[in-house]
Amino acid sequence: MKNERKRTYLLITIPILALFICFNTVPLIKGVIYSFTNYKGFGNYDYIGIQNYIDLFTDARIGKSYLFTFKLAVVSTIVVNVLSLLLALALNSKIRAQGFFRAAYFLPNVLGALVVGYIFNYLFTYIVPAVADMMGAESLSTSILAKESTAWVGIMIVCAWQAIAMNTIIYISGLQTVPEDVYEAGALDGATGWKKFWKLTFPLIIPFFTINMVLCVKNFLMVFDQVMALTKGGPAQSTESISYLIYNNGMSGGQFGFQSANAVMFFVLIVVVSVFQMKISSKKEEQL
Amino acid sequence: MIENKRTNWPVMICLILGLSTIIFPLYMTIMIALKQPSEMTNSIGGILSLPKSWSLDNFREAMRITDFWRSLLYSVLITGASVVLSIVLHSLLGYVLGRTKAKSKFYSFVYYFVVSGMFVPFAILMMPLAKQTAQMYLANWAGVIILYVVFYMPMNTLLYTGYLVNIPVALEEASRVDGATTWQTYWKIIFPIMKPMHATVAIITALSVWNDVMMPLIIMGGSGANTLPLAQLNFQSQFGTNYNLAFSSYLLALIPILIFYVICQKRIINGVVNGAVK
Amino acid sequence: MRKIAKSVIAFACSLFLAIPLAGCSKTAEGVTEIEIVQYKPEAAAYFEKVEKAFNEQHKDIHLTIYSPNDAATVLKTRFIREDYPDIIGIGGDINYSYYVDAGILADISDYQGVKEINPAYLAIDEALKIVPVEGVYALPYAANAAGILYNKDLFDQYGWEIPTNWEELMSLCEEIQSDGVLPFYFGFKDIWTCLAPWNAMAVSLSDTDTAKQVNRGETTFSKAYRELAEKYIQILDYGPKNPFAYNYNDACTAFARQEAAMFTIGSYAIPQILSVNPDLNLDSFVLPASESSEGNVLNSGIDLQFYVTAECKNREAAYEVLDFLYQDENIQDYINEQTAIPCKSGEFEISPKLNSMKPYIEEGRMADFHDHYYPSEMAADALLQTYLIKKDTDQFLSNWDKIWPRYNRDIIRAMEKYEEEN
Repeated sequence: MKNERKRTYLLITIPILALFICFNTVPLIKGVIYSFTNYKGFGNYDYIGIQNYIDLFTDARIGKSYLFTFKLAVVSTIVVNVLSLLLALALNSKIRAQGFFRAAYFLPNVLGALVVGYIFNYLFTYIVPAVADMMGAESLSTSILAKESTAWVGIMIVCAWQAIAMNTIIYISGLQTVPEDVYEAGALDGATGWKKFWKLTFPLIIPFFTINMVLCVKNFLMVFDQVMALTKGGPAQSTESISYLIYNNGMSGGQFGFQSANAVMFFVLIVVVSVFQMKISSKKEEQL
Repeated sequence: MIENKRTNWPVMICLILGLSTIIFPLYMTIMIALKQPSEMTNSIGGILSLPKSWSLDNFREAMRITDFWRSLLYSVLITGASVVLSIVLHSLLGYVLGRTKAKSKFYSFVYYFVVSGMFVPFAILMMPLAKQTAQMYLANWAGVIILYVVFYMPMNTLLYTGYLVNIPVALEEASRVDGATTWQTYWKIIFPIMKPMHATVAIITALSVWNDVMMPLIIMGGSGANTLPLAQLNFQSQFGTNYNLAFSSYLLALIPILIFYVICQKRIINGVVNGAVK
Repeated sequence: MRKIAKSVIAFACSLFLAIPLAGCSKTAEGVTEIEIVQYKPEAAAYFEKVEKAFNEQHKDIHLTIYSPNDAATVLKTRFIREDYPDIIGIGGDINYSYYVDAGILADISDYQGVKEINPAYLAIDEALKIVPVEGVYALPYAANAAGILYNKDLFDQYGWEIPTNWEELMSLCEEIQSDGVLPFYFGFKDIWTCLAPWNAMAVSLSDTDTAKQVNRGETTFSKAYRELAEKYIQILDYGPKNPFAYNYNDACTAFARQEAAMFTIGSYAIPQILSVNPDLNLDSFVLPASESSEGNVLNSGIDLQFYVTAECKNREAAYEVLDFLYQDENIQDYINEQTAIPCKSGEFEISPKLNSMKPYIEEGRMADFHDHYYPSEMAADALLQTYLIKKDTDQFLSNWDKIWPRYNRDIIRAMEKYEEEN
């Protein structure tokens, strides 16, 4: 009986794992090999040892991109998780036209990067400053994307605007695993609703909270589309994300070897961070 | 679900207010999609105004340029196949890992190994994958599908194993006592019970695949076959972008995936009934 | 539920079985296939027309022209697959230099058409090679020019005059400003637009091969680019209040809507501007960065040129395709549609919007874009944007000098090796 189960588990795991190794691990290893070369993406190349890695640590631009990316990721993750949890609770409560609202709040995620880029550029460049002028808000009278100190906020807003839909879906599906009576109790007793949520609902959806945290950290650390659409790394190179450098300099430019090294370092760094994060939260899950 | 007649009005009002952050950009998109390039301005009045004449010419032209129906076919094929394969394979893997990773060192390793694949920057894989798929005669839509299945495996496995935590093992034990094999038990008990998660995975995978440009560009680029996002690249070049046509095209591409979402998200809710066995 | 699961699996299996079928494609016997990948999607309609006309006239050769967006990525992935197209069409920039260096391109000096190309453009290609290599590897097709586009109606209305040197340009800007009009519009939010005025001024103020001189250790950017850098930030005073808030598209729209008198950009922007306002009466002039009118040089580079790849199996057929592409009527069509400058010698009708640049082209008084020598990963455009924001000339130039060797390590090494051997 036990053997049968073990065998089935293995029979399921091995082929899927083989597929994964073939199309993920193998190319990754090849990428790691490229990181020790001066490969441009075509033509001949030489092995240059750990030169690329030495360069990584002495390149101010790389350091700046890590700082920017992590700052963006941390803030966006918090903002998105708070807002999407609230939105999920709202969309899951007793409201009318639930289907309509769920579809409407999903829209930001479907609009292509070109559309989102254009609309938000317009919003930040023309509409927000005009409104700010009318209200006399001096600090907003020029596009926030044009200032080094605030451009990242613009990117954060767009990231959050797009990502909330996805995280909300995950929270909604998490809320489905919570027994009905928890809501009923919470809905009936409005005053202590928050406490009930914190004490009853939240512990039950912790696995989904973990998932969302991991997905957010992953998505925002790899932020690329929004940077391309909104600032192209500017102003004054203040919003060059790690993925932006890896893609632009490695794929479009001729730094494939060097940016492979960057990608390897980046990969190792996030794996360490998130395995740590997952270990902690899975311990918590077990305790519950 | 028991219908409760009482509507939570404060929440309703917040939701309606929040809707403005979506309606406004959507309104802008639709207006731009209906206008001509000569109606574009840098003033707020200009961007919010209605088009001079109402016509669907932009949509017609956008469909012509993107070879809409053919591109749509490829998009639907790739997205559909990726979603179906993802649900089957990833839920299986998620199930096995969810049930074993706490007790077995090997499966725990497999779990972290697969999940950490999520953090591999795609750019580092691009070149090797382009070469590898060509060597395996997979530089076509089929290769794109396989790569998507592999590419979303880490995230979906994470989702499935997370969901499994809330499904009691007792359910399976009961079935096993009846003499069913693990394989049978999975398809009879676990797979149906994970329906809300299937819907979630379907939405997330479908959406990411539907909008993705990079994978088809490097794998299928130059094969003559286009997905919708690939065809939509035609509207932009460094020195000039026809936003009006591009926006019409994006609105067209939005409709199928939105319909798909509406269908799937009903399944998430229906899951309440099925999942309530708990 | 089991039934569903089974049918799902069946569907998945049938998909895998269908894979081998997708890989096959048929070619008729006796017909040579020639494939072109060219990088200008905005010219896709033109190339479709050419492709059709060619195939109608030739029964033994079948031509396919792809105009993918992001052709650079498509080409790179095809190179890595060793799936080379027969002919490639990209601009004369650093990628061309790399391709020559990597041995991807074929020497086409035996092709008759080479003789018909304007020697000034062949010289540009020669200069772009990282180290001198025997042979011709590129066939220039069309060029673009950068300078200043101006609103002719506004100029006529206020009686402003076209400047011929730097001093006149600055006083013109003052005059325009005092007439209550904005002299320049900039779209510096899109970092690449920071390169347009820079390139247009660089040709008059420093040598085209500045980058190579630095690589050989003969000069530094701090020396060669100082005047250029100092003049460059002066134009900023005559632009919109916060030029970093607007992107290229905003700037094109604003200029088309007559919100500014001039726009420092290349001829390539004309179609986009006219799409917003087809009635705009615009013209262009060379950016007079030099102190004397004789010192001014037109900034013109090769926007599109064709290369036969070393892997091309049927050279004869490829040459026949090139013959067709370089027919005068076809080139004329192309330059009409793209407001471009032909690279072939001969009588062509250049758009009247480029009239003031014509004498420079005829005299060959032109020089290539300096950024064609900058590796794109160095992000010279971003460095320029940073400079325009911070306005610290010393810091900008010394930083440029500092990071240059890192991004050009391989090029410098190749040059050193060549010098040693010769």
